[in-house]
Parts: sequence; structure tokens; C-alpha cells
Amino acid sequence: MTVRPNPGKPSARGVRRGPGELESEVLALLWVARGPRTAAWVQAELAGGLAYTTVVTILSRLHDKGLLARARSGRAYAYTPVTDEAGIVARRMRALLDHEADRQAVLASFVSELSAADESILRALLGAAGPAESRG
Amino acid sequence: MPLALYLPLLLPLTAFPVARLAGDHLHPRTATRLLTVVSVVLSVCSTLCLALLVVVGTAQLPGNPLPDGWSDAEVRDAIPHVSLFGILAIPTFLAILTAVAVTHRRDRVEHRLALNAVAGAPAGGELTVLPDPTPYAYALRGPPDRIVVSTGMLLPLDDEERRALIAHERAHLRGRHHLALAATRLAACAHPLLRPIHTTVAYTVERWADEDAAEALGDRRTIARAVGKAALAAKGRPPFAAPAFAAPGPVPRRVAALLGPPPPTAWPTPRSRAGVAALVAATGTTVSVLASLNAAVALVLLLIAATPL
Repeated sequence: MTVRPNPGKPSARGVRRGPGELESEVLALLWVARGPRTAAWVQAELAGGLAYTTVVTILSRLHDKGLLARARSGRAYAYTPVTDEAGIVARRMRALLDHEADRQAVLASFVSELSAADESILRALLGAAGPAESRG
Repeated sequence: MPLALYLPLLLPLTAFPVARLAGDHLHPRTATRLLTVVSVVLSVCSTLCLALLVVVGTAQLPGNPLPDGWSDAEVRDAIPHVSLFGILAIPTFLAILTAVAVTHRRDRVEHRLALNAVAGAPAGGELTVLPDPTPYAYALRGPPDRIVVSTGMLLPLDDEERRALIAHERAHLRGRHHLALAATRLAACAHPLLRPIHTTVAYTVERWADEDAAEALGDRRTIARAVGKAALAAKGRPPFAAPAFAAPGPVPRRVAALLGPPPPTAWPTPRSRAGVAALVAATGTTVSVLASLNAAVALVLLLIAATPL
């Protein structure tokens, strides 16, 4: 059932990824999109040249799970993330993160704190990494 | 035999150089595994020897419940300075047991709190997105395993960089990195000289996840950009206070490593620095195991001999 992302053999962009990974990516994409988006838009945005039907399947699955709301937009559906529940959870998470505690063993953060020196080193590194840095 | 009892207590002195060399020169996956095993073995051996000292030390105390034979001159002579270190060992041992228990309990409570906070939130794949302008991203082991990311963390990243972030967090969950973190953390409670290993492992699991994500995406520079951008986005609104380091912190080192060539996965040659690290680590743990076994067996035999039947 699961298509592993083939860890042994890195290839160019658009490596195959499992359904779970695709769901995550589509969900993340719609959270940063401003406003409702159709399957065609998602297909165009996502790297890896996914089939239209694959995108539609993922979107319906996320809708079934209650993660996306949808409304008719012409002949297709337009999707937006459902924010009510997520907002409540976000506030609970915020409260947890705000109270002082040593949670390093439980929650490993993606990035740790930067010192002022770190910041200048980092900017130099990203600058040297080439024009790619300005993509975002 | 006599000094062998103290050797496992001193061998964690090798932890600092081994952690430095392994962290800098081994593939992060190899370094994580090696350092975790080393710190667990060294801490178990040192705790065992401390426990033996406690037994002999307690036997010296007036009014102790242990057999009188255990405080015989024969037993005392077998361990140099036992009257001093045997007594010192008692509060040390109790302090260690308390520290390990308290740390373990606190981790469990924190984990439970984090799971409760996100309980019930639906996830796409493993991803739970939370609307919060403060940037954060965590891998939270379950069940169910979750990747918790705030919108503040997603917004500054482009499509490829978001994939990099998700792949990195997924690598933490797949590699069960929390086990290495928890094990080295408890080992550091058991012997404070093992703390550098925990600090290094906290760094090598991040590097490991970076490398796994780079393999999944087939692109190292995207990961480097994602890590760098995320760190810059998180700056100024730090969720936690953190000390400022004089040396470059973990994030610039990770980015620099990703912009360089992939680390070699083969075992290093014995002459290289990585080889030295592995060699010192292997020798240190072997000596520690042998010394503590030797001490334990000798002491147990001695105590049996001294126990009146």
C-alpha cells in the first residue's frame, strides 16, 4: 500500500512519495495559499508532476478527514483548510510552549536558537549558496 | 582488581573528546548510534561500580543491617580508600537515582502534555498544521506520530522547502531519534561527564534528519535553505530562552554541512580522525565493561567468602 520514497536512490525533483507524504504536502500548500484553491491549481503548484486524478483523490481524502472544507467553484471544487478545530489546538499548543519547561527530549525543534554571530554566518552561507536563496 | 572498581567511574572522561570527534567526522547516523551505545554502556558500568561501593561503604557504617563479615578488613583492603569513597558513594548514588527518576518522569509528563494538546486534531498524512504566527515545527512521537507545524513556520518557505521541512520531521519519527535523545539524557544524569555526549547527539540527530531529508528529496541545497530560512524566521520571536554561544551554533553548522558534499557512510579508516574517535570509544567502553565485570565478580566472590554461613 505504501510507496516508500526510495531512500537509497536519490533522483532529481519529483521523487516518488507515499500517499501520507502527499497528503502532508497538499495540506501544507493549502494552508499557505490565500483563499480557496482548486485541484488544478494544486496540481500546478506541487513539484513532481502529479496526475490530476491523484490530486483530486488526495483532496477528497483530506476533505473526508475534516481537514479541508470545499465549495463549488464552477465545475470543480475549491478547497480551504478547516481552521476552527486547528485554532483551538493551536491555542493549547501555544500555552504548552509558553510555560517554561525542559521539553527538549520530547519536542525536538526543527531549528534551535540563533545567536547574533550565527545569524551573520547563516546569511553569508545562504548568500553564497547562490540565487536559489531569493526564490522564497 | 582493586583499582578496576574505580576505572568505570573515570572512563566517562573520554566522553568529551569522543563526542567531539564523532560529531564532527562520522556520518550523523553512525555518530548517533555509536555515541548512544557508548553513553549507555559507560553509565551502566559506572552506576554498577558505584552500587558496589555503596554496598561496601554501607557495611562500614555502624548499625547497618548488612552481614558483619562485609566490613571485614579483608573486604576493606580489597578496595583502596574504601572508607572514604565507600561513604561518599552513598549520597552520590542516591542523588543519581533521584536525578534519573526525576528526569524520566518529567519527560513522560511533558510528552503526555504535548499529546493532550494536539489530541483530536486531524492530520493529513502525519502533518497537523496549527494557525499560529510564531514559527515552530516539531516531531511528536505518538501514537499517532505527528508532525506539528505552525503556519508561521510554513509561510516563509516555498513549496520545495516545505517538503524539506516535512521530510526532516518525518526522518525524526522514522529513525526513532527520541530514543537516542532520551537514552543519552538519562546517561548524563547517571554520570555528569557524559553530558557532552547528549549535547552532541542532540546535534547529530538533527544532522541525521537533514541527511535523510536530503536523500528523500534528492537535493541537499533545498534542505540547507529550509533550515536557514526557518532559523531566520524564528529569530526575534524565540519561543524559548537559549544561551548565546561564542562558537557557531548548530544551525550554521547544519547549513554548512548541507552545502558541502554528503558525508561518507562507510566506516572510516583507523588512521583518520573519525577512526580515532571510533577506536577510542570502542576501547573505552570495552575497558569499562571488563573492569566493572571484573570488579563486580571479584567483589561478589569476596563478599560471599566473608559472609558467615
